[in-house]
Amino acid sequence: MSPIFPEPVSPNGQGIYNTYIGISIVAIIVFVGVEAALLWVVLRYRRSTQPAGYVPPQVHGHTGLEIAWTLAPLVIVLAIAGYSFAELQKDFQPISHSQMLVVVSGHQFGWDYEYENGVVVHQEGSLTAEVPAFVVPTNTLVKLQFRGTDVIHSWWVPAISGKTDAVPGYDNFSWLKIDKPGKWRGECAELCGTGHASMQIIVQAMDKSDFDAWMAKQKESGATPSASPSPSPSK
Amino acid sequence: MATTVLPRPKAYDDTFFKPISIWLTTTDHKLIGIMYMVTAMISFVIGGIFALIIRLQLSQPNLRLVDDSTYNQLISAHGVTMIFFFVTIFVTGIANYMVPIMVGARDMAFPRVNLLGFWLIPVSIILYYCGFFTGHALDAGWTGYAPLTEKAYQSHSLGVDFWAMSIIVWAISGIMASTNFLTTIVALRAPGMRFSRLPLFVWAQISTSILLLVVGAPLAAAMILLEFDRQLGTQFFTTSGRPVLYQHLFWFFGHPEVYVMILPAFGMISEIVPVFARKPIFGYMSMVAALFGIVFLSMTVWAHHMFTVGMNTYVEGFFMLMTMLIAVPTGIKFFNWIATAWWGSIDFTVPIKFVFGFLATFLIGGITGIYLASVPVDTQLHQSYFVVAHLHYVLFGGSVFAIFAGIYYWFPKITGRLLNRTLGEWHFWTTFIGFNGTFLIMHTLGLEGMPRRIWTYSNEAWAATNIIITISSFLIAFSVLLFLINIVHSWNQGEIAGNDPWQGNTLEWATTSPPPPYNFERVPAVRSFMPVRDLRESGELIEEPPVVPAPV
Repeated sequence: MSPIFPEPVSPNGQGIYNTYIGISIVAIIVFVGVEAALLWVVLRYRRSTQPAGYVPPQVHGHTGLEIAWTLAPLVIVLAIAGYSFAELQKDFQPISHSQMLVVVSGHQFGWDYEYENGVVVHQEGSLTAEVPAFVVPTNTLVKLQFRGTDVIHSWWVPAISGKTDAVPGYDNFSWLKIDKPGKWRGECAELCGTGHASMQIIVQAMDKSDFDAWMAKQKESGATPSASPSPSPSK
Repeated sequence: MATTVLPRPKAYDDTFFKPISIWLTTTDHKLIGIMYMVTAMISFVIGGIFALIIRLQLSQPNLRLVDDSTYNQLISAHGVTMIFFFVTIFVTGIANYMVPIMVGARDMAFPRVNLLGFWLIPVSIILYYCGFFTGHALDAGWTGYAPLTEKAYQSHSLGVDFWAMSIIVWAISGIMASTNFLTTIVALRAPGMRFSRLPLFVWAQISTSILLLVVGAPLAAAMILLEFDRQLGTQFFTTSGRPVLYQHLFWFFGHPEVYVMILPAFGMISEIVPVFARKPIFGYMSMVAALFGIVFLSMTVWAHHMFTVGMNTYVEGFFMLMTMLIAVPTGIKFFNWIATAWWGSIDFTVPIKFVFGFLATFLIGGITGIYLASVPVDTQLHQSYFVVAHLHYVLFGGSVFAIFAGIYYWFPKITGRLLNRTLGEWHFWTTFIGFNGTFLIMHTLGLEGMPRRIWTYSNEAWAATNIIITISSFLIAFSVLLFLINIVHSWNQGEIAGNDPWQGNTLEWATTSPPPPYNFERVPAVRSFMPVRDLRESGELIEEPPVVPAPV
């Protein structure tokens, strides 16, 4: 059990993580403060512990107090919204300066990753077996362009960043930039049919030299778009 | 002045077991209210059984208790049943019973519309469950996102059609009920019952009705367009159409629906706290203003369910801001409730225990809502178990705790008998512990990366949390069992309540328990928003002889 996300490996994931921590600081203060007030009321103002015949003061309101607890939440949420909006502008804009483009298309039930040179990695749905990894070079800004070919899917690797939906009809964007070699898991996050749980994702980051060797091997084995099966229509 | 107690019609006795002809034909808002509530409780049990099967399937990795298709039908049925057929129906029922009495009316403004509106609900429920008899009910979640619900992906499934029909009928019923509530409250108030003296539960019902009137039609529109796609071959939401349009239409209803379920709950809390704390509600006017602030804001936040579809970041920023602003009116209500209880003399009976259970848990749901409103954080948490935990904190920890508080509070008025206190205490504590045991640690599953709506998983790291959740969910089931036993037992042989067991503030406590068909022998004078308290203090409250309910 972890109260925080997995350690982020991409700068946009790090940005989300920082926002999460920022909100948590405020959230914990509010939570402890209000729950303490509730607990105080429950323990202090019980009829059973009060003197017999105690008549509570018949207070109908207090304008100053009411204004105070209108303004206090307002200030807090404006601060959180502003902070979140800054992060939104920083890491969620469509990017134009990427070093690599990969088209990710979701289908029932699996993912296809098409590199600029035509190589395609197929991650066909599987509940237990290992799926082939989507491989990216380290220290490279990779732009991900998402497409849905049948229903809506959502690409999610928690350690990298948030979700991006693959919706039929238009392209959706995200990006990643991983600094160290490694393997990270994720899965489809939008209910897409019976095989939804099987749409596993594995992202592997390799050093540039390893990546080039891997890519050469893919080219040899002929993983081109023409060799890829078109997404099968649903049963 | 001596009052004569009119004899009650024999057929209209206080027992649940009346001739079926009375139940089928009554236009009495109280009997219709009871039927709404009983229907909702049956749905609660059915939806709960679905939830238990879901929890058993998820208790350990790689289980095969149900298959993927059945699982998807179960989660859809759980959501539809709990949202459309339980919470909304229950709060409509309790309002149907209480609102006319609280404003001092004899019945709803349109009793026969009330009758029709109620009977559309069983039609709606039966239509939905017909899907199971076609071999394939709705399996795309309660939201039924297109294009997964389209013919291309559900070619043999009539379940989606039954669901769409059911929701259309449901929306029509909701619009009828809302119109009826608004007319009743505007036109049938007793002399002296100015708008500034309406009980807050009635104000909550005004705001809820406005909300449902505005958003019911777009929901029906979404379902009708979906049916056009499926039956007539149009391309509104298909793979080659605009699937995201469906999400806009659905959530323009779907998010306000959250408030349709929680505003009546707010109303009940606002009624119960002052009675048990022996203090007037703190900040009556700001409570009313907050309700309408929520009504307005809730219609401007729907796209926060869609932060991952790829909208312009400024549009996302707008919906984020509006969503977070809801914390302001909700905060006003929350602090006013605490201030009402502050310095009070609180009698910790079962209703007020559920109120404090509501306050303690709903707060968590509100705070996690801020996380989800923040666009960057939401892209991580969206469609994960964090969301499932959040929505249960607001719907179960919020609405359902308030519903239980309302039941313990008003059961004596409705049946003439008090619910058993010992069973009630057990019910509260098992619910409170079971609920938090189930949903508090569920947040961490979402943070660790478990998406919602997956029928199984192979990640061993999620196993321990899931088994704790499943065990706790059975504690909730046990608590509901205690509750049902209490209802049946107390309706049959509970302690006689009398007219006013809690020393209430509002008009329903001035009449008998249960009230006669015409509600009041004589409508009491209304001089503030606490008319019965005024009468009690000035010694004008006429103690009508308590009716001894017939045994069931």
